[in-house]
Amino acid sequence: MNTTTRRAAAGALALATLAAGCGRSADRAPEQAQDVTTGKISGEVTVWAMGEEGKALGAFVKDFESANPGVKVNVTAIGWDVAHDKITAAIAGGATPDVSMIGSTWSGELAKTGALEPTPGNLVDPAAFFPGAWQTVNVNGTAYGVPWYVETRVLYYRTDQAEKAGVEPPATWQEFTAFAEALKEKGGAKDGFQQSYTLGASWQEVLPLIWQAGGEIVTDGKYTFDTPETVTALKQYASMFTRELAPTDVPLNAFPQTFIKGEVGGFFSGPWMIGVLNNDGGPGFAGKFDVAPYPKGPVSGTSFVGGADMAVFKKAANRDAAWSFIKWLSEPKVQAKWYTTVKALPAVQSAWQEPELAADEQLKVFGEQLKDAKTPPPFPTWEQVARVLETELEKLARGRSTPEETAKAIQSQADTIGTGL
Amino acid sequence: MAVLTRQAPPTQAPVKVRSTLRRSGVGWLFVAPFVVLFAVFYLGPLLVGIGMSFTDMRSTDVADPLAVDVVGVENYLRLMNDAAMRRAAVNTVVFVVTALPLTIGLGLAAAVLLNSGIARLPAAFFRLGYYLPNITSIIGVAVAWKFLLEPQAGLVNRLLELAGIAGPNWLQSESTALPAIIVMTAWRSFGFDMVVLLAALQTIPRELYEAAEVDGAGRWARFHAVTLPALRPVLLFCTVYSSVGFMQFLEEPLVMTGGGPLNSTLSASLAIFDQFGVGNYGYAGAASTVLFTVIVALAVLQLRLGRNR
Repeated sequence: MNTTTRRAAAGALALATLAAGCGRSADRAPEQAQDVTTGKISGEVTVWAMGEEGKALGAFVKDFESANPGVKVNVTAIGWDVAHDKITAAIAGGATPDVSMIGSTWSGELAKTGALEPTPGNLVDPAAFFPGAWQTVNVNGTAYGVPWYVETRVLYYRTDQAEKAGVEPPATWQEFTAFAEALKEKGGAKDGFQQSYTLGASWQEVLPLIWQAGGEIVTDGKYTFDTPETVTALKQYASMFTRELAPTDVPLNAFPQTFIKGEVGGFFSGPWMIGVLNNDGGPGFAGKFDVAPYPKGPVSGTSFVGGADMAVFKKAANRDAAWSFIKWLSEPKVQAKWYTTVKALPAVQSAWQEPELAADEQLKVFGEQLKDAKTPPPFPTWEQVARVLETELEKLARGRSTPEETAKAIQSQADTIGTGL
Repeated sequence: MAVLTRQAPPTQAPVKVRSTLRRSGVGWLFVAPFVVLFAVFYLGPLLVGIGMSFTDMRSTDVADPLAVDVVGVENYLRLMNDAAMRRAAVNTVVFVVTALPLTIGLGLAAAVLLNSGIARLPAAFFRLGYYLPNITSIIGVAVAWKFLLEPQAGLVNRLLELAGIAGPNWLQSESTALPAIIVMTAWRSFGFDMVVLLAALQTIPRELYEAAEVDGAGRWARFHAVTLPALRPVLLFCTVYSSVGFMQFLEEPLVMTGGGPLNSTLSASLAIFDQFGVGNYGYAGAASTVLFTVIVALAVLQLRLGRNR
């Protein structure tokens, strides 16, 4: 054996050892939640929060601090665009905060890393939250974190155009098509209705339609897209394009200006759009649009529920105070006050009876819609499957495939990707 | 025996070795910062990325990155059957093959024009004007061009309208989106080639042109027989430098089209970026390894071809 061969053999052996060291362990048993004592707490709690919430939370926690002398809450605001990467990096580096806000579709992925702590059973009552909201933290029967605020999609429409066309907000799919047609033909919305078909949001357009048709995208722990219900939903979605009631040549980010200019007469989106429209539309625009619940499909009028949750990491230095803080955030009065701070809709149902929310008519539409709203499954691969949906939906919207082909294409790719659990 | 008496005294040898050692030690000391930075931030991640591409690692494995299954070349096989990845590869090849000659051609033309005859003040003005886009952020340029190419209000279609032509919806049409991005990239990049070529042009001795003129060479013949051969090394540099950059184009489609419509502007880098974004680390690692290998091979090939001729 000369030196080279010996070295090569040693190298191969080292590689083999390394390879043997790798490998996934067998299926983990569901994690057991540990109870928490929230009575006596002290010390510092580090919290990460995103976007407007991150900016406002730092001042908002003063109430919690004064109610719990000796506790200091340090809020770090991070941008939504970097949040997912930052949390992933923190988990990889073992440098997680005590508490972090997480996007409602992230819980499955983050729970799978093993970094999140299951929600203590004695912390909050799951029934106090909107069912769809609790669904976002429920990963295969174990809850990781607590819903903080919610958002749901409803119908936005131009009241001036609807009046001109002589139509009321639609209650069913059939009425909806007639509604969009009237806005275009008689209301003056020359491009009809805004329905997303590009990367970014189009899957949120279609998911509610599938549920409204009575379909489920997950059955028995597997993705199920190739169903008659999905095809029904895709037909409804595609019909808007084939009837030329929705444009397919919108420049990137041209919406919502197209709605403000009246080129499109309506769209489905979340509560944040009220603020955007009032801001971008200028004075007087608030009176030109209104919201209405989703029109009902063959089975229901289910919408999509999103939002954000609050989760505690296993490596939290101050576990008791971290969970106490989250418990405080989910008190109805605090939820209602938080709504007045950043307009984030309460995830706790009873908070909607507080005076801050009860008076607002537009808000009531969201409150009603939240009672019938679902979330995509908390599978770690969901983002990847959502991307597949968007790619296939663009083909459908541009007339390159039929609803049946689209359902099959999504199914076969989702099967390849798997649930990741 | 003069040879013997001239033999160096034996005491000198160790001194020499020691001084060489000391000198190379000092040398290593000087390059150490680079070597360490290179190993930690380039070589290390590169090797980890290549290793990752043979596993089924996902974003959910970051807490325990060694607890993943080794899947061999499965990721690479999947790449071959991935329609989006194939489309991205084709788009990238089309982009490089068209943008590269366009950029170098524009750069060469601008350099030759500026080098010959245009008065001093405008020359400085043009040099600055052509080079500015190159040092402007790609994101800024891409956003500005997105507005220029806007179908109704954009400047490009407004000008076409004056000429009586109805301009297309540039970035929303499958046939025009990639060409629009190619033209924008050539416009943005040629200033660099121009500056480098201009510097090279100014080193070509006047005498060569005078001698050629005496021999009866016309304008074109002089360009062809004197200028081009003298510029060959610099042209080679521009080709390698630009093609390595173009192979990795990402920001332009990311800002202007998001890869659409129907993946017609999806670049290899953007496709990889998307895969990392959805947490598919092993698969994205495989795609990056392929891109890396292609770029290295392309650069080596270009250098070989340039040297042999």
